[in-house]
Amino acid sequence: MVESKSISARIGRIVIHTIVITLGLICLLPLWNIVATSFSSSEAVTANAVGLIPVNFTTETYKMIMEDAQFWRSFGISVQRVFLSLIINMVLIVLMAYPLSKSTRVFKGRNIYMNLLIFSMLFSGGMIPTYLVVKNLNLLNTIWSLVLPGAVQVFSVILIMNFFIGVPKSLEEAAIMDGANPLQILVKVFIPISLPALATVALFSIVGNWNDFFSGLIYMTKVSNYPLMTYIQSLSINIEEMLKSGANANSLENMMEVSNKNLNAAKIVVSIIPLLVIYPLLQKYFIHGIVVGSVKE
Amino acid sequence: MKRFRTLCKRMTILSMASMLSFSLAACVDSSSPQESASTTEDGKTVITMGRVTAANPKLPEGDTYENNAYTRLVDEKLDVKIVNQFEAEGEDYDRQVALAIASGELPDMMRVNSKEELKELVENDLIADLTDVYKERASDNIKEIYDSYGGRSLADATFDDRLMAIPATNGANAPNMVWIRQDWIDKLGLELDKDGDSLITLEELENTAKAFIENDPGASGNPVGIPFAHWLNAGDYGGSALTMSSVAGVFNAHPRHYIEDENGNITYGSTTEGTKKALGVLADLFDKGIIDPQFGTRTWDDIMALLTNGQTGIVTGPWHIPDWGLSAVREMDKNAEFVAYTLEGDNGKANVFRENPTGSFIVVRKDYAHPELAIKILNLFYDELGNATDLETDYPEIAKYNELSVDGSTRPFNIEVYKSTSTLDDFSDLILPAVNGETSIEDITKAGIKNDAKTILEYIENPENAETSAWAKYHSRMKGIGLIEKLTTEDTFNWTTPVYYGTTATMEKKGANLLKLEEEDFIKIVTGTEPLDYFDTFVSKWKKQGGDEILAEIEAELAEQQ
Repeated sequence: MVESKSISARIGRIVIHTIVITLGLICLLPLWNIVATSFSSSEAVTANAVGLIPVNFTTETYKMIMEDAQFWRSFGISVQRVFLSLIINMVLIVLMAYPLSKSTRVFKGRNIYMNLLIFSMLFSGGMIPTYLVVKNLNLLNTIWSLVLPGAVQVFSVILIMNFFIGVPKSLEEAAIMDGANPLQILVKVFIPISLPALATVALFSIVGNWNDFFSGLIYMTKVSNYPLMTYIQSLSINIEEMLKSGANANSLENMMEVSNKNLNAAKIVVSIIPLLVIYPLLQKYFIHGIVVGSVKE
Repeated sequence: MKRFRTLCKRMTILSMASMLSFSLAACVDSSSPQESASTTEDGKTVITMGRVTAANPKLPEGDTYENNAYTRLVDEKLDVKIVNQFEAEGEDYDRQVALAIASGELPDMMRVNSKEELKELVENDLIADLTDVYKERASDNIKEIYDSYGGRSLADATFDDRLMAIPATNGANAPNMVWIRQDWIDKLGLELDKDGDSLITLEELENTAKAFIENDPGASGNPVGIPFAHWLNAGDYGGSALTMSSVAGVFNAHPRHYIEDENGNITYGSTTEGTKKALGVLADLFDKGIIDPQFGTRTWDDIMALLTNGQTGIVTGPWHIPDWGLSAVREMDKNAEFVAYTLEGDNGKANVFRENPTGSFIVVRKDYAHPELAIKILNLFYDELGNATDLETDYPEIAKYNELSVDGSTRPFNIEVYKSTSTLDDFSDLILPAVNGETSIEDITKAGIKNDAKTILEYIENPENAETSAWAKYHSRMKGIGLIEKLTTEDTFNWTTPVYYGTTATMEKKGANLLKLEEEDFIKIVTGTEPLDYFDTFVSKWKKQGGDEILAEIEAELAEQQ
């Protein structure tokens, strides 16, 4: 990088850094507040005394999580779901994107399939019809009700398809010359070259499945089957709405026991750990694309 | 060629139409042949249920909603196996009910949480008529309980003279209270309620708040006066914490309730002259700085923080607020103590409204072969168990549950069925004599009440070191219900019974907007952004934007009932 000594460039860099750091802090601070809350005593949390540093430091909440059987059961369900979804999503994405990346001359019905895909992206059956399908397939309360409705991620298919279209023709031609069949071309040429894009959609799939709470609410009729985010969502209670619309002594007491804010903060902290672990593992694929330099023109 | 094309088009349209009708037929088909009732292999009758759960049921290890002491009791006594078709809490439960209705597979029995939902089920002919089974099977005690509501409770579940559901009862009639820090009153040597009738005047309230602001007994450095929630009025008594209903009661006004005025016309409580006067008082107090200057912007959590930090020592709320709200104050400050008063009305009485007697209902699916089982479960839980004199010997497992304070939601029907006066009766007949040493705690037959009395005595014996939960029980029972008991025996109440608790069609459509209008305009009036006379503008806006329609609908519906 060429060091620019001019004042305006220097000011520019300062401005850019300030903006980036501020944006970073805006993203980081709320998260950090949750971490601080999880390590604070519940009195301090009720008194709104916790900012960025834990007050009355305690690890009590984490000990309580250790004993929370439902938390770990839900955690397991979520891990299982992400794992299954990832495999199914990636297989379907690649297998769909590859033929769709071919021109209509090679793949005759391409445009029809493409339109069907885009149609399903714009219009969906809606909550209740989807529920009925899942129910009549007897998938309620099974892990598949969380995995199968989201098996085809159309957006990711289009993303990968476009990436495949961008792959230089000569690479494929070279493979054909070497006698590779279409499957070999896909596995040996296209997939290795598209790792950055595939890592991106893999991340979409992981994060999306991990964070989704709504399908758990609908397809799981028992709390013991809830995935982690559904379970955590069921703990967050809007007391203001509750009071406004009506409440009684029992429901309020129960609410108080559940809305243990520092404990819930700790649950949130634990729930984001898997994502924090996965991200660096995938990051190495983002850094270098290998299309550059694969063909000499 | 052209003709061929149009033919093609027609064929397509035709086939699409037939496909549609086929799929519709499939919908109807799948819903009708639901089995009337199934049995397990060993011949027990199965009831599938929709269960309302609680996040923290405190069930002992290994027990679930589907298999616990209560369901085992049903199994043993009625030879019935309960299978949960779905279980969820709060909104999630309502969603599951909606999905069950949509898919045409209702559970055999379930709870519905509103009259509107019940009405819909009745109109679509989805639930069973319970009139006869209730008449024949309900025990005398159960009938007596419902009769204590003067027919109001059963009437809520009755359509065209047929009883379509088992109504849950809700008899918590009580005044909104003003909770004041007793330790601060003592510290500053204030004198409140000189005549000892437990009613304080607005002036006394103002003076106390002023003394708290000036002297800062909580040593917070930043005392703020009386906090109010920005919504100012709640839908019912239970949610009335931090609302203005105590102040409105002074002028016998009952915001957010539909009442009959002296001319027999139905009016909306928030639009009455009394509410205007109450808002006038609040605006005046706000102007003087007696009300939290940041009123309108504070959230519930903010206000709880004010209390725990010792910035304020006065809140309005229901009798049970110590159990779930004020307990945080004691966690921070071991010496914190509250006293409860009710504001004296300008008629010298404590003006209160009666609560909706029914909150939720248990319904039985139409065509279910054993609707009588619903009544049998009702008898078993709310008569036999409720009046059991010796739980330990007769129902040891249930007795253990009570000791562990397992949540009531684990019972098959998550509803309460008790007499309209039961909270008060339990207090004055059971808790008070035991606490005063006139009777022994061991003589109390009702397990929950026995626990209450025990914890209260624990607190009285050692207030310094008692658990916060004992502190809370002591306050909610001895101070809260104690106040209700005193006002009842001294006959200080002036009751208003709202004429309508339901939701009309216009309320469904425009209710949310009207409520928003009300909340915003009330904040404007209290904070002085608009003068008090702006209230009249609010009333005419309210009427124009749907209020008139709502009132007409209520009148029509009430006329229909008579």
